[in-house]
Amino acid sequence: MTALCLALWGIVLLGSSLSGRLDLLLRGVFHPLVGFSGVVLLVLAGAQLKDAWGQGRRPGAPRGWWLGAAVALLVLAIPPNPSFSDLATNRPAELGQEEALNFVLPPAQRSLTDWVRLLRSQPDPSLYEGDPVRISGFVWPQKGDQPQLARLLVRCCLADATPVGLPVRWPPGQVPKADRWLAVRGTMAVEEHDGQKRSVVVAERIAAIPRPRRPLEP
Amino acid sequence: MPLCPLGAGDLGLAGDDGYNCRSCLAWLATAWAIFQGLLVEALPFLLIGVAIASLARWLAPGGRWMQKLPRHPVLGPLTGAALGFALPACECGNVPVARRLLAGGAPLGTALGFLFAAPVLNPIVLASTWVAFPNQAWLLAARPGGALLLSLLLASVLRLLPETALLDPALLEERRLNQPLAEVGLLERRTGLVGPATPKALPDKTPRPPLQEVLQHGSREFLDLAVLLVLGCAIAATVQTLLPRSWLLAVGGAPTLSVLSLMLLAVVVSVCSSVDAFLALGFAAQITPGALFAFLVLGPVVDLKLLGLLRVLLRPKAIALTSAAAAVAVLVLGQWINLLLL
Repeated sequence: MTALCLALWGIVLLGSSLSGRLDLLLRGVFHPLVGFSGVVLLVLAGAQLKDAWGQGRRPGAPRGWWLGAAVALLVLAIPPNPSFSDLATNRPAELGQEEALNFVLPPAQRSLTDWVRLLRSQPDPSLYEGDPVRISGFVWPQKGDQPQLARLLVRCCLADATPVGLPVRWPPGQVPKADRWLAVRGTMAVEEHDGQKRSVVVAERIAAIPRPRRPLEP
Repeated sequence: MPLCPLGAGDLGLAGDDGYNCRSCLAWLATAWAIFQGLLVEALPFLLIGVAIASLARWLAPGGRWMQKLPRHPVLGPLTGAALGFALPACECGNVPVARRLLAGGAPLGTALGFLFAAPVLNPIVLASTWVAFPNQAWLLAARPGGALLLSLLLASVLRLLPETALLDPALLEERRLNQPLAEVGLLERRTGLVGPATPKALPDKTPRPPLQEVLQHGSREFLDLAVLLVLGCAIAATVQTLLPRSWLLAVGGAPTLSVLSLMLLAVVVSVCSSVDAFLALGFAAQITPGALFAFLVLGPVVDLKLLGLLRVLLRPKAIALTSAAAAVAVLVLGQWINLLLL
């Protein structure tokens, strides 16, 4: 039972690493550690199996281990499929300040996160009026406003995901549903919101896209 | 990528069931994903902790060196805290090592000092705090200083309890076996000293156990702790999904409320101490300095993910006492920092 439980946890970690599931759960810097831990657990399981086989022992397992094994099987069977808009709505939109801004990138090459960082550092909307925009993200509903296009930033794991979003002026009658992943082309414009000027993406062409392989950004 | 003009049918338009409705399925899916994120991130650190504890068991069998650690009420916890530099892991990895220290007969204060201070006083956590807040010199001093102070306080408070009321019974039994007879009564030891069999005297030098036995012991310890980690992650994921984080940050500007809310956030989020500074960076501008300090000092000592793991060390009442004492101390320290810096 010791070998079986260790092997199950090893498969969970190594399988998550190889299947790309970690891209949805953890920041990239932790991926090698998770994969390596999975290998260590599998080797340990092999050693335990050999040991038990050689001695003909079949020691009983504490009840808790069965619970652990059941959870490991569930984790293997049910992949994570979080609602990004749900996660984003539950957390305040903020942005760390340690990331360098990509000032050198031309407007059409800036990602959604680049745009948000730029707008935070140089918040004068008139500077960007008319700039071409090509971004992708998920639809993040806003109370009392049109949905934004957003991304999740992650420092460690999904538990600390923090949203960043850009206001989008959707064409009349074409407001998309929450959680849809969209690629949007348009231009940056200025609009009044709550008595203040802000930058808004005027969507000209929109396409539904599948969720990216690495949907979380550092 | 070719982009279709607006009106393509697969965009999915918001209808009556729009975004104000959080469906139960979406809630469950999000909680399940957060659970997996927490678990998959914590398991490697748990493995590192168990590996270090097993290595100590193999290299220093009998744990005689642990019994020689200082017993002084202040020097002991300080030595335990300094041991953190040998274990660059978060709070999950520290639990098996602290258990090994306690089981090996290390002085209580030293082991508790290690348990509570080492998650902050280690090179990785100090470096990540410095990288996240390079311009806040006060925090670079206040975080390790606060962690040290908190560990001293918690060790002092918990030492007031008799070991039987403090330590988990299984751990206590293992600890009694490794404590000198001068410190433990015969009946307390429960090793058959009172009974028909003649006990063998403990050898002066314990032989090194076979590697196979050490691996077996480490494997069982990992599996025991993994179950408790699963429970902690399940609680943390559920509470996180139910409790909007924006509620906790809404009171960011109020000195006392901000400290309290960030303490609650640290307990709920249960993020690893080696990266919590980067998370704090995201909302540092919204909150008071005392609240930031509270988040970074309380989280490594008490959080929902850790509560299950602490059960292998402490009795439930001792865990409750630890949580309450840590909360009061961090609240007072956070308030004091607000008084100084605001």
